[in-house]
Amino acid sequence: MQVTLSKRINELLVLAVLDQGPAHGYQIALAVEEQTGGSFSFQHGTLYPILHRLEADGRLRAEWHGTGRRRKTYEITGAGRAELAAGAAELEEQFRALLGLLRGCHAA
Amino acid sequence: MPRENPLARVERELRVAPRHRLDLVNEVDADVLALQAELERRGYGPAEARRAAVARLVPGGRVIRQLEHRHRPLLGRRVPASGWMDRAVAVGAGAAAAFAGVVAVVATASPGGAGMTAAIRWLLVFVAALMAANLGRASARLWVQGDLRQEERQLLWARQAGLIVAAVAGGALGAAWEGYLVLGTSVGASGPALVPKSVAWEAIGSMAGVAAVGLAVAVFGLFGWLLVTPRLITDEECERRIDAFFARSRPRLTPDSPKAQSHAQ
Repeated sequence: MQVTLSKRINELLVLAVLDQGPAHGYQIALAVEEQTGGSFSFQHGTLYPILHRLEADGRLRAEWHGTGRRRKTYEITGAGRAELAAGAAELEEQFRALLGLLRGCHAA
Repeated sequence: MPRENPLARVERELRVAPRHRLDLVNEVDADVLALQAELERRGYGPAEARRAAVARLVPGGRVIRQLEHRHRPLLGRRVPASGWMDRAVAVGAGAAAAFAGVVAVVATASPGGAGMTAAIRWLLVFVAALMAANLGRASARLWVQGDLRQEERQLLWARQAGLIVAAVAGGALGAAWEGYLVLGTSVGASGPALVPKSVAWEAIGSMAGVAAVGLAVAVFGLFGWLLVTPRLITDEECERRIDAFFARSRPRLTPDSPKAQSHAQ
């Protein structure tokens, strides 16, 4: 599946936060913002299509809690952890290549 | 005037099955409230916290389209969302209507009373074609787009009910005409007491034949609609819960209204 870089990064950010433990949607949004020092943030509900896509693909598991006001909690699955590890390695390699090129240009 | 709940716009614009809409408004609402509470703990004022939570979490237009794509039925994700199904149903119904109309005109204009019988039979075929088109439209909405809203649902059911009545009426009219045609000639010639048994049976047979076609078309329309009914019941239940959700959350989700301001204080 061909995904754009920003889409891939967003997915990995969500998976990385959930790798620390189950969380609600708003907690994921806050954690991403805080843990990236504000470099990444989800606005206008952009988080939900990502969460629902990852859930549909089996990389996350979601569960509803409560009887009156129900709340949805997300948890990473084994497939999600594998995806996170592979994605992080892939991104690292891509960014290293990109930085190498940029620094080379700058030096020249 | 109290402000509209921002999730009401999302629910209105999101063209997916009611159960997905219900899940989404529940999920986003719970998250918005929790984030608002969290931001208030961090020193935001209630209205400011509310605005920030809504800005972060309530889906905008582009995100609504993404969610639509995500929650559309499998078939709907595979076909382009250009309304081709609606056009196909409309063209099919139009073609069936034109064909049945031409045949009806030719049959009515033909010499002898049999032309009228043929016209009534073709009218029933036309009614069946319209029923199929109506069911096709409902099915496309439910299983391709995933969303059949209340207004359209009521319109389609009213149309289907009208067509069922038309089929029964057409069958009855055709049966009466057949009876008139067979018995009327015989009675006119020899008087009512002297109608031969064979002619009477022939009349009954002809009448039953046309009535059966009308009844069959009505049953097709009714049972066709019954096939989509379980899904419609589920959808209506979800829509009732969505309505209850917005009725319940109205004062709380309007931070700028006097009631909510006093509640916040």
